[in-house]
Amino acid sequence: MSIRIALAGNPNSGKTTLFNAFTGSNQYVGNWPGVTVEKKEGKLKRHSDVIVTDLPGIYSLSPYTIEEIVARDYLIDEKPDAIINIVDGTNLERNLYLTTQIVELGIPVVVAINMMDVVKKRGDKIDVAELSRQLACPVVEISALKGTGVDTVADMAVEAANGKPTVPQHSFSGTVEHALAHIEEAVVHDMPAEQQRWYAIKIFEEDEKVLERLNIAPDVMAHIKEDIASAEAEMDDDAESIITNERYIYISSMIQSCYKKANKGQLSTSDKIDKVVTNRFLGLPIFALIMFLVYSISMSGAALGTGLTDWANDGLFGDGWHLAGKSEYEEAMDTYAKEYLFSNVEFKETIEEAVAAEVPGAEDILGAVEDGSWGDFEEPYEFFADSLAEQGYDISEYVTYAMGDEEEGIEPAGEVPEPENYGTWVPGIPVLIGNLLEKMGANEFVTGLILDGIVAGVGAVLGFVPQMLVLFLCLAFLESCGYMARVAFIMDRIFRKFGLSGKSFIPVLVGTGCGVPGIMASRTIENERDRRMTIMTTTFIPCGAKLPIITMIAVALFHGSSLVATSAYFVGIAAIVCSGIILKKTKMFAGDPAPFVMELPSYHLPTVGTVLRSMWERGWSFIKKAGTIILISSIVVWLGSVFGYIDGQFGFSPDMELENSVLGMLANGIKFIFAPLGFGTGVEGIKATIATIMGLVAKEEVVGVFGVLDFAGLTKLAAYSFLLFNLLCAPCFAAIGAIKREMNSAKWTWFAIAYQCVLAYAVALCVYQIGSIFTEEMNVIGLIFAILVLVGFFYLLFRKNKYDENHLTVAVKKTKKQMANVSE
Amino acid sequence: MIPLSVLGDGNEGIIKKIGGKPEVKKHLEDLGFIVGEAVAVITEQNGNIIVKVKEARIAISREMASKIYV
Repeated sequence: MSIRIALAGNPNSGKTTLFNAFTGSNQYVGNWPGVTVEKKEGKLKRHSDVIVTDLPGIYSLSPYTIEEIVARDYLIDEKPDAIINIVDGTNLERNLYLTTQIVELGIPVVVAINMMDVVKKRGDKIDVAELSRQLACPVVEISALKGTGVDTVADMAVEAANGKPTVPQHSFSGTVEHALAHIEEAVVHDMPAEQQRWYAIKIFEEDEKVLERLNIAPDVMAHIKEDIASAEAEMDDDAESIITNERYIYISSMIQSCYKKANKGQLSTSDKIDKVVTNRFLGLPIFALIMFLVYSISMSGAALGTGLTDWANDGLFGDGWHLAGKSEYEEAMDTYAKEYLFSNVEFKETIEEAVAAEVPGAEDILGAVEDGSWGDFEEPYEFFADSLAEQGYDISEYVTYAMGDEEEGIEPAGEVPEPENYGTWVPGIPVLIGNLLEKMGANEFVTGLILDGIVAGVGAVLGFVPQMLVLFLCLAFLESCGYMARVAFIMDRIFRKFGLSGKSFIPVLVGTGCGVPGIMASRTIENERDRRMTIMTTTFIPCGAKLPIITMIAVALFHGSSLVATSAYFVGIAAIVCSGIILKKTKMFAGDPAPFVMELPSYHLPTVGTVLRSMWERGWSFIKKAGTIILISSIVVWLGSVFGYIDGQFGFSPDMELENSVLGMLANGIKFIFAPLGFGTGVEGIKATIATIMGLVAKEEVVGVFGVLDFAGLTKLAAYSFLLFNLLCAPCFAAIGAIKREMNSAKWTWFAIAYQCVLAYAVALCVYQIGSIFTEEMNVIGLIFAILVLVGFFYLLFRKNKYDENHLTVAVKKTKKQMANVSE
Repeated sequence: MIPLSVLGDGNEGIIKKIGGKPEVKKHLEDLGFIVGEAVAVITEQNGNIIVKVKEARIAISREMASKIYV
């Protein structure tokens, strides 16, 4: 028979590190039934028949937080064979408070005192033998971080599981014990002997959940209440506080006999760091600086993140990449391009004319030509060649002359260097699969489905993985070294002003990388209302996949102005702030955000393993989504884009014009919805609608449908409205899946999506219609609607919070009632 | 008796009374805020404070800090 061991302890006591040390990679992560608290289970190393359950971090077994309820329900109902209670040795007193409650459960307990390396370094001494004697259970010194003592604890717990339950040694003061004895006799005497004491104490505390469960007869309860009341009167406190205080008194007597502190009252290193880092003047600037560093590392051009993402997009999921010999190939290409293309006078003159006429992109192309760099030339050329040609500056014939055109059967002027001939060239996945399919003799449909549908769709998303992993690596480091908890504290004052708590900031931060782990990061928020609101608003911040849309519009219509990107982030933050204020005034979200209380862990250098694991967990959740939801939706969208009417006949064609495809017809049917946003009613309207639908699969797909050329049909205002709508509307399917999982309710998921879409529509409508006043396209009806929407928005934003008042009056009524009860 | 929220940066005090709703009070007690315990304010930001109690650093909002009297 297998043995079940539960791991219990305070938050930040090193529980997760110990759990990882116990189980290695042998873990199963899920949710506790009915709640979004994470449940981790794993097989103990060296004992394959032992299952370890990681309980949520708790301070007490009281019934006030979800974590506490989950943990104690598990301990009481599932009765694990043993409990390992991990105790932070640097804060023995507070951690033993939970221990005194755990030993009352009637289950064998092993106490593991963690962070012994830090305790010893400080020169403090813990008398383990004495502590073990006083608690009547085995006590082991460990350091989960360094891995010392881990095996001993595991072995002892397995041994204890087969032994006798731990018997609590502490007794409360006379009156309390008297009441407890009465309760045991009256209510719980037919329970298993070892559980009686825990239940008796909970009944004494008038723990609602326990009373609910036991369903005690009213006359018995009345009798018990008398006992409690007399104890309360004698001790001049409420029953819960009496127990709490007695526990602390017992602990301090225990501490006195087995804990020697080297130097009292000095500020620790962590305290000194906090004095600076959370300082009221320095806190925000330091935070801004750290964020700047994190984003420069993962985003900036030269940095690892973008490099890896480029490799994944252009190499692994593109044509291929050079393992070695890249620079030789590039040099050869430069030489070739200089000889056959860049030296062509007419070619250069055409570009210079285009620059003079301020055609977008021409300047980039000219710069590359002047530098003689084929690499710098290729990218803007692919991007802008069509729009250059359209404005009468066609350079494609020169490029075709030099490079040839396989499809048209044009041979290049000279011998174009082949990447395969330089160093080690590894072909990309699409190329490999394409070759394989060709060999197998697959037909057009299968090839298209696999290459354009699956590989292109999923590959585009997976291409973001490296960049995201770098961002998550940085965030994981900040989290496990203890800084993230301080961020929540620093941001709390600001976020509280619009109804969110400081803890809502971390999901938004992660969301700038990807919304999926961002939404998942909302788990740390205990209060359900706050958590729901955070989930709903997190995806307003532009994620990594929305950046290509922003860049494209900025380049196509705003001369690459960086203001577009800045405004996108500004709009995202404004959407979060306004949503916070508006939602807080609705019935669903009424009430203050939960008061902020949070223990700040000591600063410490995390282990490489912990950081990598945390990074991987987030990254993996994203990859899994790409493999499931994005895979299916990529296939569906691809099917919709290649089936359609060709010359009046429904059929399949790999070169289907978008307008004639099923997708196009669907878009044609619903494009009227977006007409008021300026998407247009012609071909560009259809394309914009398709792009928006595709955005649901993955936001960067918008760019795939809606190339630079298509913006020629849109005004700047319409393009900006298009951008706003796509930034704020429902996120991609992967993120919607994450919302569903975290909301744990279909109703709330739909509400979140509907809210996001309505807000996006309202913002885009107002911007387009009101902006149209300054153009010639003003539409009076549209303008009236927009102004009505705007007025409605401001009403929702600035109206009085009636639920706040209700809240108050209810509270006053309650107090009056209570006072009446008292006077009776 | 003054609320912990106004004790000020770097000052220490002994907890004299804890008010508030029962669940808030209980939660504070679970975290080590009990009558007779020494607390020290490490930093303060617009009333939100980080305090040291029983070897732990705990960040609490002004609303909660104002229910703890020292």
